[in-house]
Amino acid sequence: MTDSARSTSDAATAPGAGDFAARGHRISKVYGSGDARVIALDGVTVGIPRGRFTAVMGPSGSGKSTLMHCMAGLDAVSEGEVFIGDTELTSLRDKQLTRLRRDKIGFIFQAFNLVPTLTALENITLPMDIAGRRPDPAWLDRVIDTVGLRPRLKHRPSELSGGQQQRVACARALASRPEIIFADEPTGNLDSRSGAEVLSFLRDSVREMGQTIVMVTHDPSAAAYADQVLFLTDGQIVDTMQQPTAERVLERMKGFELPGVGAR
Amino acid sequence: MTSVPMARVTLRNLSAHKIRLVLTAVAVILGVAFVAGTLVFTDTMNKKFDDLFNRIGKNVAVDVRAVKVVDSGDPGSARPPLPQSVLAKVRTVPGVKDPVGTVDGYAALVGKDGKIVGKGQNGPPQLGTNWTGDGIARMVAGRAPAAAGEVVLDKESASKAGYAVGDPVTVLVKAGPQKVTLVGTADIGDMMGTTLVAFDTPTAQRLLMKPGYFSEIRMGTTGPDEAALRDRVAKVLPSGTEAVTGAKLRDENKSSVASFLGFFRTFLLVFALISIFVGAFIIFNTFSMLVAQRTRELALLRAIGAARSQVTRAVIGEAVAVGFVGSTLGLAAGAGLAELLQSTTGGGGALTFTATPVIWSYVVGIVVTVVSAYFPARRAAKVPPVAAMRDDVALPQRSMRIRMALGSLLTLAGAGLMGLGLFGHVSNPAVPVGAGAFAVFLGVALLAPVISRPAVQVLGWPFARLLRTPGRLARQNALRNPRRTAATASALMIGLALITAVNVLGSSMRSSVESQVDKQFGADYVIEPTGAGGLSSDLVAKVRATGGVTDAGAMYSGDAKVSGKRVRYAAGDTPQMLSGTRAKFVSGSGTLGRDGMLVDEDTAKKNSLSVGSSVPVLFPDGRTETLRVSGVYAKNEFLGSRILSQSAYLAHTADPSVEVIIVTAHKADAATKHALEQTLSARPDVKVQDQAGLKADARKQVDGFVTFLTVLLVMSVIIAAVGVINTLALSVIERTREIGLLRAIGISRRQLRRMIRAESVVIAVFGAVLGIGIGVAFGAALQHALRKEGLNVLSVPVGTLVTYLVVAAVIGVLAALWPAWRAGRMDVLKAISTD
Repeated sequence: MTDSARSTSDAATAPGAGDFAARGHRISKVYGSGDARVIALDGVTVGIPRGRFTAVMGPSGSGKSTLMHCMAGLDAVSEGEVFIGDTELTSLRDKQLTRLRRDKIGFIFQAFNLVPTLTALENITLPMDIAGRRPDPAWLDRVIDTVGLRPRLKHRPSELSGGQQQRVACARALASRPEIIFADEPTGNLDSRSGAEVLSFLRDSVREMGQTIVMVTHDPSAAAYADQVLFLTDGQIVDTMQQPTAERVLERMKGFELPGVGAR
Repeated sequence: MTSVPMARVTLRNLSAHKIRLVLTAVAVILGVAFVAGTLVFTDTMNKKFDDLFNRIGKNVAVDVRAVKVVDSGDPGSARPPLPQSVLAKVRTVPGVKDPVGTVDGYAALVGKDGKIVGKGQNGPPQLGTNWTGDGIARMVAGRAPAAAGEVVLDKESASKAGYAVGDPVTVLVKAGPQKVTLVGTADIGDMMGTTLVAFDTPTAQRLLMKPGYFSEIRMGTTGPDEAALRDRVAKVLPSGTEAVTGAKLRDENKSSVASFLGFFRTFLLVFALISIFVGAFIIFNTFSMLVAQRTRELALLRAIGAARSQVTRAVIGEAVAVGFVGSTLGLAAGAGLAELLQSTTGGGGALTFTATPVIWSYVVGIVVTVVSAYFPARRAAKVPPVAAMRDDVALPQRSMRIRMALGSLLTLAGAGLMGLGLFGHVSNPAVPVGAGAFAVFLGVALLAPVISRPAVQVLGWPFARLLRTPGRLARQNALRNPRRTAATASALMIGLALITAVNVLGSSMRSSVESQVDKQFGADYVIEPTGAGGLSSDLVAKVRATGGVTDAGAMYSGDAKVSGKRVRYAAGDTPQMLSGTRAKFVSGSGTLGRDGMLVDEDTAKKNSLSVGSSVPVLFPDGRTETLRVSGVYAKNEFLGSRILSQSAYLAHTADPSVEVIIVTAHKADAATKHALEQTLSARPDVKVQDQAGLKADARKQVDGFVTFLTVLLVMSVIIAAVGVINTLALSVIERTREIGLLRAIGISRRQLRRMIRAESVVIAVFGAVLGIGIGVAFGAALQHALRKEGLNVLSVPVGTLVTYLVVAAVIGVLAALWPAWRAGRMDVLKAISTD
């Protein structure tokens, strides 16, 4: 486990690492100053392998959400470099970052994923509509069928169940074929059955469509759907686990001996 | 009491929603400022005039004057002159001290630059008088005028005109320009821009009235009180004259000004009321939004045991606080507004503060805020406690059906009331028309949410096409809460409806006058005075002798009483008048003779007159003459309703003055006009007008009127614009997470700002379309009601209305600036993170 963690880190440091969809090099994130200074990320170096499903786990306050926000260009790092593909993010202006998010990144949030005034289909094509691009109809059909939403396309979000809403969000993230999808606790608000549906869908999209997905979660059974798990504590990656199972993840988490694991 | 913790909730909410409440308070401030400004300004003017009349009448115990036989209804109008012989009689009465005969008339001062000092007919008085040595004028330089050719000026006018004691000065009186010498200047105190030219008494009589006559005789007392002295003086007076006490004279003067100022005050308050009405929409809307956003919090309060009435009271408490703060600031702003009004009307000095504006500011500000917040407060109380536990909470909405029924009913009732006022011959039509308009506005505002769906679809279409996704989102957002969109748009609707109505009316007036000039103006030129003086008959001969002129005739006008009612008549060179106005005879002819009379069709019908009817006419000199109707002419705007012979007019008028000279020429070309202008070159207070000039003049007058009313209505549009800002700002806050989501998945700041701007423009244009529609209907109805009064052409100023639509769109863009900026600055992370 420790070996593979090192190998991931080393690979990320190597220039021109083509098999990573996203990389972070010694990224730090510090909030506040003086006594109120909080170090959320402490020199993290990480690579997200292309075409795989990566879960980021850690107790509350471990910096996992911050890591995702920084990697996705939603938040600026205090130090270090972040790459999406070959693009370095820290030097980009807001306009370029917005364009990058629009064209190269897909998002799935825990809640409030959809624009309430738009139908399910309009929500799915929204990033492409904003960009003024036409979606690839064949791909769109495939995505819609995969998430099983065809009969619900004309519905507004308020007419869909929580699970269906998350599936629309997944479809939206996939529809523009982004370089990478960031999912922030995508099942946090769902019951276990709907959650399982969404997670298997994410796993399938990696296996069948070759999508790259990073998912932040605190739920070991959610992490079990991933190909690899990164463990984060105190702003640092402390471990990596390949082909995780819920039991192994839970066992590993207990090792951190921190209160409030699993709570948010 | 349990109200203490609720009061704490109220206070905390006030401080938590500062910006939103500041915007609400702005609506209150502007409305209250209008009310307070009007009240303070008119109070100040009243006080000033009171002081002035007290000053003028300070030493007057008794005033002797001619009786007004025919009261023209205008208290400022001149009385018939008083024979000089009365002065000798008054002097013999024991107790009378220093009786002085005064002469008042028109005298304008020509400055060194050849221009008249003052503004002519529409400005402060251009007063000519005799120097009496008492009264309000105090000599500051030089000496009193002692002979013809000498004058004293008030020192401000003298310095404005550029004259010093010893300078030759030109003064214009009815008879023409007078070259005189300035022998002294006097201080007359604050007379609000009046120019004063004082001659010695005989010269004043000759130039301003008639030799041997006074306007009035004023006197002090050696001991007896005013009433006793008045009775003594009255005994020696000839018939047709009267004596009044100084107290009565001062009261008469004051009340005539007070009644004018009272009218002016009411007029301004109507516009203030409109602003407040618009403000009420904004307040209602803001409180509705605040309540909607706080649903969960209110539910929590209910769940932990707050009673409905406590929730209502907490919201009302906020309204009271907003109203109080708004009223206080509005009062201060009103004082500033009054100061501004005073300086634009050329006055200075301290403002007069009474309790009235203070009381009204607070009453209006607080009552309007509380009444507007009452319905949202009631809705707040209806939030079920269980809403605290639910995720997506919505306030119970009353059905649209009740709203539609109520809205339609109000609109129809309002239209009916307006119809009654306009066409129903009621004694005071302004009341039903105003109340009707009010009801129509409320009714349409109630219907607006229903109308908004299709309207926003259509108005949003170009944005959806042009801006694509942001445009589509904007349109959806405007449709999202139809009530909110409608209330915001309705506020803008009111101001624009009234502005449109005024413009339709103004445009109809212009067209009507132009068509009247085309149809009824048969002469080539008219010559008119620009001052208050009128012209002397000598000028007519001079004009007639001008090269290119074929004929010139005078037209006078006078007042008389016919069967107990005051009437205004025209008189003069009848043939020239009739041909110059293209008069058409229905019966009889225009041949008058000495005691003939011509009447127009309407007057003939109303008084059942026909050719040959005898009409006894009482003239201002107290004599009655029976005249015979010799012709009935078709309604003519230039001639008015009655024409008498020139000799009849002159026989009964002490001081005749020509109102207009009607000129016909061989050829109405530039050369003739130039020749006429040469003839009149010494008279800068006279102007020559051809047809085009008459039209241009009328247009200018109407434009002035339209602009004045539009400016008064702009305040309500500004308040409505604040409402748009408020709605958008609150909507942006409400949609924080949605905006965060949009930003995260790739909408740019620019697209986001465009989206909010588009929503704003759609709402503003929706309000403008409603307003302009209603305004055109109102304007057309008014024009139809006034068609008998000469407003016979309906004209809709399409260009102007399109401009207003564009202005509304610009207001939309401007109103969105701040909310859009805020939305763009929103922290994406904060926006998307769950609580």
